[in-house]
Amino acid sequence: MEFFKKTNIDFIGMRKITYAFSIISFVLAVIFLIINGGPNYGIDFTGGTSLQLKFTVPTEPGQIRSAISGAGFGDAEIKNLGEKVNNTFIIRIAQMGEEAKTGGMVLEQLNSKLADHPYEILSVTEIGPKIGGELRKGALYSILVALIGMLVYISWRFEFKFAVGAVIALFHDVVFVLGIYTLLGLEMSLTALAAFLTIVGYSINDTIVVYDRIRENLKLMRRESLATIMNLSVNQTLSRTLLTGVSTLVVLLVLIFAGGEVIHGFALALFIGTVIGTYSSVFVASVLVLDWQLYLDRKKQAKTAARAAR
Amino acid sequence: MQRALIFKVIFVVALIVIAVASMLPTFQLNNLQDQETAMTARLIDLSGLNRSDVEVGITSGELEGQVRKSATPANRDAALRIADDLIKLNARITKVQGKAIRRGLDLQGGTYLVYEIDLKQYLSENAKNRDARLDDILTASQREYEQKGTDFFKALQENFSNRDVKLSRYFGRRGQTDDEILVDLKKLSKDAVDRTLQVLRNRVDQFGVSEPSITPQGTSRILIELPGIQNIERAKKVIGTTALLEFKLVKDPEIVWSVLNDIDKVLRAKRQGLEVPSAKPDTSVKTGDKATEKQLSLNELFGDKSANATSEEDTSVVVDQTTFEEKPFTSLLRGLPGRYSDVVSVPSQNIRAVQRTLQLPEVQAIIPSDVQLLWGTRQVAMGDQSFQRLYVVKKEAELLGSMLSNADVNIDGSSTSLRAGQAEVHMELNPEGTKTFAKVTGMNVGKQLAIVLDGRVESAPNIKEKIPSGSARIDGMGSMEEAQDLALVLRAGALPAPVKVLQEDTVGPSLGQDSINKGQTSALIGLAIVMIFVIIYYNLVGLVADFALVLNGLFVMAIMAGFGFTLTMPGIAGFILSVAMAIDSNVLINERIREELRGGKTTRAAIEQGYSRALITILDSNITTLITGAVLYTFGTGSVKGFAVTLCIGILVSMFTAIYVTRLILDIATVRFGVKKLSI
Repeated sequence: MEFFKKTNIDFIGMRKITYAFSIISFVLAVIFLIINGGPNYGIDFTGGTSLQLKFTVPTEPGQIRSAISGAGFGDAEIKNLGEKVNNTFIIRIAQMGEEAKTGGMVLEQLNSKLADHPYEILSVTEIGPKIGGELRKGALYSILVALIGMLVYISWRFEFKFAVGAVIALFHDVVFVLGIYTLLGLEMSLTALAAFLTIVGYSINDTIVVYDRIRENLKLMRRESLATIMNLSVNQTLSRTLLTGVSTLVVLLVLIFAGGEVIHGFALALFIGTVIGTYSSVFVASVLVLDWQLYLDRKKQAKTAARAAR
Repeated sequence: MQRALIFKVIFVVALIVIAVASMLPTFQLNNLQDQETAMTARLIDLSGLNRSDVEVGITSGELEGQVRKSATPANRDAALRIADDLIKLNARITKVQGKAIRRGLDLQGGTYLVYEIDLKQYLSENAKNRDARLDDILTASQREYEQKGTDFFKALQENFSNRDVKLSRYFGRRGQTDDEILVDLKKLSKDAVDRTLQVLRNRVDQFGVSEPSITPQGTSRILIELPGIQNIERAKKVIGTTALLEFKLVKDPEIVWSVLNDIDKVLRAKRQGLEVPSAKPDTSVKTGDKATEKQLSLNELFGDKSANATSEEDTSVVVDQTTFEEKPFTSLLRGLPGRYSDVVSVPSQNIRAVQRTLQLPEVQAIIPSDVQLLWGTRQVAMGDQSFQRLYVVKKEAELLGSMLSNADVNIDGSSTSLRAGQAEVHMELNPEGTKTFAKVTGMNVGKQLAIVLDGRVESAPNIKEKIPSGSARIDGMGSMEEAQDLALVLRAGALPAPVKVLQEDTVGPSLGQDSINKGQTSALIGLAIVMIFVIIYYNLVGLVADFALVLNGLFVMAIMAGFGFTLTMPGIAGFILSVAMAIDSNVLINERIREELRGGKTTRAAIEQGYSRALITILDSNITTLITGAVLYTFGTGSVKGFAVTLCIGILVSMFTAIYVTRLILDIATVRFGVKKLSI
C-alpha cells in the first residue's frame, strides 16, 4: 500500500497564505495570552492547595463551601470534576501561609462539619509559594538552555539560517498551542509542561527530517533554485510525514477519547501540537530559511548591479 | 558475511534474554499484588479487622495477635491461616519489589513531602548568646532566603556585615575569623540535615511504609516519598514532630509564687497611670466556685489603648474580680499551687492573654534565668470549663531523650486506677540515663518531675521515691494511636532542628490505579492500530518494524527496572514520544528503500542505500532530541526529569532496535535465505 507514488504539490508557492495564517494565529495567541495574564498556571507553579475528593453520597459544592468556610476557606474554588453524579470535586485554595498545612485543615473541617458525607481522597497537592516560583523558574531555564543546545547543534549540522528557522518554528508551535490550551480553560501544570516538551520534541524531529532532505537535494542538484529544491524535498518526504503524523494522531485520538480524565488535557495539547508541529516544519521553518536566503541573494544582486553600474 | 550475521544474531538474542529476565520481577510483582489484594479482602472478611489494621499488623509483626483477638472463634483458624500466608506473601513481595520497575507516586498512589529544616531556629539554638539583634539578623536572612532565593549563609554573612556585627560575637571559638566561622556553620547545618535524614529514616521505617524514599536536596531540604500510605495526616504528624524529650524539675510552690507575684507587679505598674476603664466592664458575672469573675477585654488587661490586637478572635478574658486590681496576672489563673491543686491552670479563654503577658519584654526580663514557664500538652476539662496547665520548671533539663533505650505502649492494667484501660507510653533508659534518673529521683523525693516534649509538658508525676530501675512513663494519652506514635518518635530520636512542610502531594490509590488502567488500555489500543496499519502499509517489512517496536518497549522497561529508574506519568509521555520517533525511524528507512527500489536498484543495494541514507536523518533528529532530553535531565526538576529519562532511554534504545535489529533481520532474509524480492 502506498499513499502517494509521486506528488508535485507547490507547497512553497502557498507561503503567502500560510505566512498570513501563521502570523495572525501567532499574534492572536499572544494577544489572548496577554489579556488572560499568561497561561492558567496551576498550583504547581503558583503555590497553593488543591484537593480532589470523591464523596460517596450526593454532595453539593455549596455544602463543601459552607463546611470549610469556618476555617477561612470560604473563597475556595470548588468545581465538579467530570459528571455531576460522580460527586467528585476539585477544591482549590490560594496558599495562605508559608507552611503546607492547608490541606489537612480542609480535611479536618470536612470531617467535623460534613461528617455524614464520607469521601475518598483522590489527591491532595499543596505547594508553598517558594517552591512554586522555583519550579516555574527551573522549567523556563531548562527550556531556554535546551533551545540554545538545539540552535548550536543544528547550526553545526546544517546552517545557522536553518537553526534559526527551526527555533522560530518551535516558538510558534508552543505559543500557538499554549494559546488554544489556555483558551480551552486548561491548566498549566507540571504534566502539561511535559506535554509541551513532547510537542517541542515532535516538532523539532519533523523539522529535521525535512531539513535533511533539503540538505541532501542541495548537494545533488546544485543548479536548481532553493524554492524548487524545497518543494521537491517536501514532496519526497510527504508520505513519511503523513504516515508518521497520522500514526501519532491515531494514538492520541484514542488517548483523548478513552484515556481518562487525567491525561485528557495532556493528549489534547499533544494532538494540536502534532498537527501544528508538522505544519510548521514546512510553512514556518523551511520557508523562513528560503526567504532569508532570497533576501541575501537580492542584497548580493543589488551590490553586483551597483558595482556593474559604476 | 554469514559468520558475522550469526554473531549479531547471538548478540541480539542474548540482549533479549537479559531484558526478559530483568522484566520478570515486574510481571511477578503484579501477580503477587493481585494475590495480596484478594487475600487481604478475605482476611478482613473473616477477622473483622479493618484494612489499615491489617497493613500495620503485617509490618509490625502483630498481625497474628490482632487476628486472634478480633476474629470470632468459628473463623479464627481460617483467619490465622490466611494471616500466616499473607505475611509470607508480603515477604516475597518485598523481595521482588526491589527488582521491579519503580512506579512514581502519581502512578501508584502515595504522598510526596518536601521538608525544610528551620535553619534560623537551629542557628539561634546553637548561638553562644541570643539577643534581639541576632534574632533580627537571622529573621532577615531567612526572609531573603525565602523570598529572593539567596543562599541562606550568603544572606547571613551580608546581614552581619551590613549591621557591622562580627559573627564571632555569636558563633565560633575565640580567635576564629568570620570566614572560618561561616564554614563551620555550614558544616553544622549539613550535619543537622544528615542527622535529620537519619531520624526521619528511622521514623518512616517504623511507620511501616514499603519502599519509602528519603533524600536530601540543596542545603536544607529533605524530600520524602511514601508510596501507598493511607493516613497522611498521621504520617505528617509523626514525621514532622521534633520530638525533643526532656525531664525537668517543677519548681517548689514558693518559687512559683514569687515568680507570679513579680509578673503581677510588672503588669500592675504597666496599668498604673492609665485611667481606670470608664464604662463598667460588660460584666456578665459568672459565678465561679471560688470567686466572682468578670469578663474583660485584653486591652483593659494591658492598659493598652493602641488596640492593635482587637482583630484577634475572642479577646475577652475571665478574671477573678476580687484580686484583679491587686494582682492582674494571677487573677487570670486558677488552681494556684498550695491552694487548690499543685499546678497552675489557665481557663481556655485566658490562654491568649497569658501567652501575651509572658511574651512582654518587661515580663521576660524579671523571670529568673534558671526558670521556665511551660504549657501542658492537653486541655483538661473541669465542670463546664476547660483548662490548660502552666508549669514553672527549672530551665536546665535533668535528663534528655537521647538517654532513652526504648519506648513502647502499655495499657494501664491497674483496675483501681482512674486511668485504667488508658494508653500510656513506657520508656526505658539506657545505663547512663538510669544512673542519672536514680540520682535525680533520689534527691528530689516529693517534688514533681515534668516530662517535656517539644517544649510542652506531657505530664508531671510526683516523685514518690528513688527510682533505680530506669523506667518512666507518660500517661493520660488521648488514644492508643497517639501513644503508638509518641513511642515511635521517641524510639527514633529527636530531630536536631524543627522542620516544616513546604510541599505536599498526595495521590489516592484509586486515582493512580484508574489513570494507569485507562492510560495503559488506550495507549495499547492506539499502538495496536498503528502496528496493524504499519503491516498493511509495508507488508512483511512492516511486520519487522513492529517486531522492533515491541523489542523497543521491552528494552526500555528492562532498563528502567534494571537501573532503578522511576516511571511516572510525564515519564510515560517521554516514552510515547520515543515510540513515535522509533516508528518514524522505520518509516524513514522503509520510504528510502522504496525510493531506491523504484529507482531500479537491486534488493540488496536498496537496503544498503536505504539504511545508510535514512541513518543521517535519523541521527540528526534523534541527537537534537537527545540534547533536549539531556538538558532537561540536568536542569529540570521532578516531573521534567522523569520525562527526560524515558525520552533519552527510549531514543537510545530505538536507535538500536529500529536501525540495527531491523537491518539484521532484512540481511538475514536476503543473505542467508536469499530472498530476492522484498515484501514492502
